[in-house]
Amino acid sequence: MPNTSSNTARDDGDAAPPARAARAKWLALLARATRDELDDAIALCPDAPDFVWLRAPQTGLVLVQGRVGGNGDRFNLGETTVTRCTLRQQDGVVGTGYVLGRDAERAARVARLDALMQMPRHHDVLASGTGPLATIAGRLAATVAQHDADTAASRVEFFTMVREA
Amino acid sequence: MLMASIPDWSQLQPGFADPVHDAQGVFRAVLDALARPGRLRSVGSRLAPNEEASIAARATLLALADATTSVWLQFPLPEVASALRFHTGAPLLSGESDLATAQFVLLTDPARCPALERFAFGTAESPEHSATLIVDVPMLATDHTGTGGLHLRLRGPGIATHADVTVGGLDTAFWQARAALAPRFPAGLDLLIASGDTVLGLPRTTHVEVC
Repeated sequence: MPNTSSNTARDDGDAAPPARAARAKWLALLARATRDELDDAIALCPDAPDFVWLRAPQTGLVLVQGRVGGNGDRFNLGETTVTRCTLRQQDGVVGTGYVLGRDAERAARVARLDALMQMPRHHDVLASGTGPLATIAGRLAATVAQHDADTAASRVEFFTMVREA
Repeated sequence: MLMASIPDWSQLQPGFADPVHDAQGVFRAVLDALARPGRLRSVGSRLAPNEEASIAARATLLALADATTSVWLQFPLPEVASALRFHTGAPLLSGESDLATAQFVLLTDPARCPALERFAFGTAESPEHSATLIVDVPMLATDHTGTGGLHLRLRGPGIATHADVTVGGLDTAFWQARAALAPRFPAGLDLLIASGDTVLGLPRTTHVEVC
């Protein structure tokens, strides 16, 4: 994953409260999960409340911004396709889902799980040490580690040049 | 003052079922209403009714407002405010000090409308920088047979000879204040009178006579 800023709106030193930081964390995990992983997670919450769409899944373009080295000046990396949706459960909990690409079904499942994660009862099941979120995080970490290992194998040492930090 | 705090999302209601085509349909209805003052246009039953504002007023704002148009609310309406914030991203204004900067104004209690001189009229060079007032009235009908409102006779561009309408909720003083703005043309105020799902357009060029 390129080191792009996904938090542009909150870039003014405004520290997010812990509840919002935790929600951002699980939304980031869910956004990278496969449809099967999301289905497995929803299956763990059999008595999920009904919901209405506040914003049915819709696909559009989002301008992705990056920073050189993660802390340089902001620049526009390019546009990417994003599908988003928002729902409200009958108990008033609002769930939202943003995923890269056009998979409306995945965005809908992310919104569903976002709402369930805000209910303490389901949160404990989903976020437990062996729960679906941990599974997703583990798979993502393994993918990144594999990618790093593949990249490291192709490393070339240039002895004539000073390596940058 | 900008309402910086995040509205109460638990009051949030769904917007248009089909955002693109519903917004286009409402835009067409408002366009027709402004092109033919005196003819009532329906925006259709695209939204569920609520107690805060009429379907026509809310649909008009959902269709026309966006992140670059400020909307002034006469009262803090939780459902309308959260819907505008969520579905349109429009900056919401309130309070007397913000009247002059508002591009859309939602008046849900027209009897307590602020003085019309306080809204933005635009200038002769850029008359488009004027405010559009969306006024929720309890009663709105064509011709003069209806009761419960003032009988108005409209003349001006878009009307062959004259058009008769009955509008409740707005008193004679309001229409006199509006008529007093006529010398400012091309600057001025455009009115959208809403009731239920119907809307009556009164652009600044329309001459209103109270019968």
